[in-house]
Amino acid sequence: MAIQINRGLIGKEYPPYPVTVERGKIKEFARALGDDNPHYLDDRVGAASEWGDLIAPPTFAVTLRDETADTTAFLKELGTDISRILHGEQEFEIFRPLQPGRTYLCRPRVVDIYEKPGRSGPMAFVVRETAITDDTNEIVATMRGVTIVRL
Amino acid sequence: MKYGRVYFDDVKVGDELPPLVKGPIKQIQLTRYAGASGDFNPIHQDDEFARAAGMGGVFAHGMLSMGFVGQAVTDWAGAGTVRKLGVRFAALVRLKDVVTCRGRVVAKSSTAGAQLVDLEVWAENQRAEKVVTGRATVALPARG
Repeated sequence: MAIQINRGLIGKEYPPYPVTVERGKIKEFARALGDDNPHYLDDRVGAASEWGDLIAPPTFAVTLRDETADTTAFLKELGTDISRILHGEQEFEIFRPLQPGRTYLCRPRVVDIYEKPGRSGPMAFVVRETAITDDTNEIVATMRGVTIVRL
Repeated sequence: MKYGRVYFDDVKVGDELPPLVKGPIKQIQLTRYAGASGDFNPIHQDDEFARAAGMGGVFAHGMLSMGFVGQAVTDWAGAGTVRKLGVRFAALVRLKDVVTCRGRVVAKSSTAGAQLVDLEVWAENQRAEKVVTGRATVALPARG
């Protein structure tokens, strides 16, 4: 029973949301990966470093979620649900490492939605991009993810 | 030394990163990663849910494997050096899988103020099947 994906979301921009990076969250994330790099975990190493504080691992931006947004609502709007999605691709461009105590503004948008046959049947590919800026409105990172929907 | 300094001048195209071996993957790591990342999709936690979804059981977050690949890069190049990291999730990582992350230098370029090294990166399971394939760019310091 194939489902219909709402391609009308292409180009849709979502309201920008601020996220303040918590020191403990960086450490929790590094530990969950099993990455013991002292630049993520040791406040003294961070303070003595060129960044003057801890920095986040390269994939940490994925934790910058909009706490006011309902993921299930986005999936519903897309025409699917959480049991049908897979992570297809992910990319980060990092201009400066994310750091604790700073507030970043995230601007997500849907870049593209296309369908093509996959190994286990027809699939839709939903490409989303989020631009992350700091409090001086300078770009710090961008992330781009491709979600695969099993139709 | 685990976190040695790598200089742009000393890197050659074809150089390989020291492999980073992670796992065997346990459920508790997927649970910790869910909490740390905020991705609570039950497909990574609840075997019954994952089976009902047609996935044959629980599998790891793609982002966990990508995080491992990121670590392989920063263990070699240093924390804070990654400018780009992009991957495709080629196969599912299951419980008990051992994930080995590898990388190889494919290009070097020097522009105003930055010495960049491009890497081909990937992760494979214990059957040598690629589970993640991608590219990374790191900015390295120059000697002297």
